[in-house]
Amino acid sequence: MGISDVIPVPVAVDEEISKWTIFGQPVADVWFTTTEKIHQIIEMGPIKNIFNWGRKNSVYFLMQPMGCCGVEMFVFGAAPYDCTRFGCMPRNTPRQTDVMIISGYITRKYLPVIKNLWEQMVEPKWCVAIGECAISGGPFYDSYNIIQNTADYFPIDVFVPGCPPRPEQFLEALMNLQEKIKQRKDKRGY
Amino acid sequence: MTTASDVLSAVQSAFPGAVLESRVESDRRLWATIDSNSIVDVCKHLSEKLNFDHYSGAAGVDWIARKEMEVVEIMASHGAHQVVAMLKSKTPRENPSVKSLANLFWNANWYEREIWEMFGINFEGHPGLYPLLLGDELVGVWPWRKDFKGYPDLTTGQRAVERPTSEGYTEYFIPPTPAEIEAGTVPKEKPKYPSFREREEKEIKSDSEMIMHMGPQHAMLPGPFLLDILIEGERVHKAFLDMGYIHKGIEKIMENRTWLQGLTYTDRMCYVASLSNNECYCGAIEKILGLEVPLRAQYIRVILEELSRIQSHLIGTGEFMTLIAGVGYAPWNFMIIDRESIISLIESVTGARLTHTFVRFGGVRNDLPEGFSDKCRSALKYIESRTKEYIELFEQDPIYHMRMENVGVLSPDRAKRVGISGPPLRATGVAYDMRKEDPILVYPDLDFKVVTGTRGDSADRIDVRLREILESIHIIEQCLDRIPAGPIKTETKVPKKIPAGEAYYRVEDPRGEMGMYVISDGGDKPYRVKVRGPVYATLQTLPPLLEGVYIADAVAIAGSMDGCPSEADR
Ligand code: SF4
Repeated sequence: MGISDVIPVPVAVDEEISKWTIFGQPVADVWFTTTEKIHQIIEMGPIKNIFNWGRKNSVYFLMQPMGCCGVEMFVFGAAPYDCTRFGCMPRNTPRQTDVMIISGYITRKYLPVIKNLWEQMVEPKWCVAIGECAISGGPFYDSYNIIQNTADYFPIDVFVPGCPPRPEQFLEALMNLQEKIKQRKDKRGY
Repeated sequence: MTTASDVLSAVQSAFPGAVLESRVESDRRLWATIDSNSIVDVCKHLSEKLNFDHYSGAAGVDWIARKEMEVVEIMASHGAHQVVAMLKSKTPRENPSVKSLANLFWNANWYEREIWEMFGINFEGHPGLYPLLLGDELVGVWPWRKDFKGYPDLTTGQRAVERPTSEGYTEYFIPPTPAEIEAGTVPKEKPKYPSFREREEKEIKSDSEMIMHMGPQHAMLPGPFLLDILIEGERVHKAFLDMGYIHKGIEKIMENRTWLQGLTYTDRMCYVASLSNNECYCGAIEKILGLEVPLRAQYIRVILEELSRIQSHLIGTGEFMTLIAGVGYAPWNFMIIDRESIISLIESVTGARLTHTFVRFGGVRNDLPEGFSDKCRSALKYIESRTKEYIELFEQDPIYHMRMENVGVLSPDRAKRVGISGPPLRATGVAYDMRKEDPILVYPDLDFKVVTGTRGDSADRIDVRLREILESIHIIEQCLDRIPAGPIKTETKVPKKIPAGEAYYRVEDPRGEMGMYVISDGGDKPYRVKVRGPVYATLQTLPPLLEGVYIADAVAIAGSMDGCPSEADR
């Protein structure tokens, strides 16, 4: 399909454009193409790095306190630790976030909820587990109501031990995640 | 002044033969076993004739060796006297059933629901025995009974089976543990009850009404809970609360840890007020042991608990500000900055920011660091000036007043009846504070006022919190002046095994009255720990309080209550 099929342009222009290529593909193909094709092209070239640079610098996280670590997350999101300078910002709804911080114990009753929150987040998305509870159930590992193997449910990129970790460790976790995104080493392979 | 023995003789003369066993522990504590047929009458008599107008909670205990179960009703008074009556009624372990107090005391409802779902004790005449904390799968297995086979459970997550629901969401079904299946304790028939969803949908009366979900994920409350409101237009007709999203089973876990290990779990009950939780647990055990805490340790405890109160009130007020308006984000940031200075003070003593595990049986873990007093004074000076600024700011702002005044008003009588405590109760004008009511440590020697409000609305609740910060600062300054030198732990060695006994200990948590009921059977682990938390009562009050308000006010009311669901769920 040429450009002139869609917009009335002189045939000469159409012919000229059909000679152009981008990463070995005809531009005209790219021009009127599907999202899938665009993705293919992005995958191929250094554009991906630019994308990931952008993603890495705007890791908005979901404000979702679930336990003691959640209180540290409050503090981390507020002024004293100023996470905004690294492009991390607390957001209140999953629709606006890139990173889910699991900040505490996942119980039987909360597991479907947090799964749905995760599913509501738009791609690309990452997951960070903060605190012992989010890693293995923590002090409540043998309770009848606690899910221990969080990593089986969520593709967790960074684990932060501590009970609770300090806000600085939250910062470190997100910076580690940024590094992973930059190097394309994250679990979901963006 | 009424003492425990007066109460006992009054009950004995009014109901001859109803008191099966009794023990007067002190002037303030009465333990009595009441004949289970007359428990309702006794409670009624206590509340009507003897000023026991505060139904404080109930606990279930499973005495497996004696083949019986016990329900312990905790009754107290709002200032008329200081006696706490612990009334036990017994029931056989096979088909346990006792009479319900829910028709007598409105707030008995939730306590009894909890006992039912955890122990399987039936409450005759209860208006609706539905599970409160547990998910539907666990109802019927009675997890807090001593012979529950599903604990320890190390593979909960691995057993989960994913199921999509008809609405496109994901759900999980978690089958019973292998141990339960092997022992054959999986219940064949589950109790029948309408689910939370069905219960609320039943209330929809017309086409113009709908249900709006708030939660379970809350961005600005320190834990998840589900608040469903039935609305018509902008008005809330009814509210429903579902809890248990972070129910960890702390009370069950504590029964399986040693006495000292249990201390770490009290931290994680309400993580914004860990020090008062520590104090409550240690206090109860000190009572069983009869330990004297050295004076210096008492002062250190008071200083830290008051510091902890300040930081809790700051974060609570900050959360409230963000909840009522987006522009409130600035006060939140300011309050968090202020809170950091308090947190670093506490950290310099305890070594942890939130979970301190600092108070020990008969003392504290370590002494104050060098130069603490000066640092503390300068930090407090700063906090004092800031708090005064906040109070002035709130007082002067006309928009804030229009928004908050007469929103979520509780009258003193109603507040007493629903059993709330702490700032929400004091905002109604009832000066009920555990530090005066049931004084512990060196509080009787200290000079401080109980801050009260007048209107009992959201604005007052915030105002009371802020003025309490000033009062706490005053207390700490006195303590810093008076703190003596000396040991920080008792000379007596605390045994690994605590002698058999029981105690109920109350402290004033930043959020209200917190009590712990600890039973020891002489072993190295607690036999039962029951936590009576303030937030439990606060959250229970929330649904009726929201009836008839605007949707926007629902958030303001819920925020001003400063609920920490973790402590209610445990
Ligand atoms: S890791 Fe520790 S501090 Fe964090 S949620 Fe779990 S118990 Fe609380």
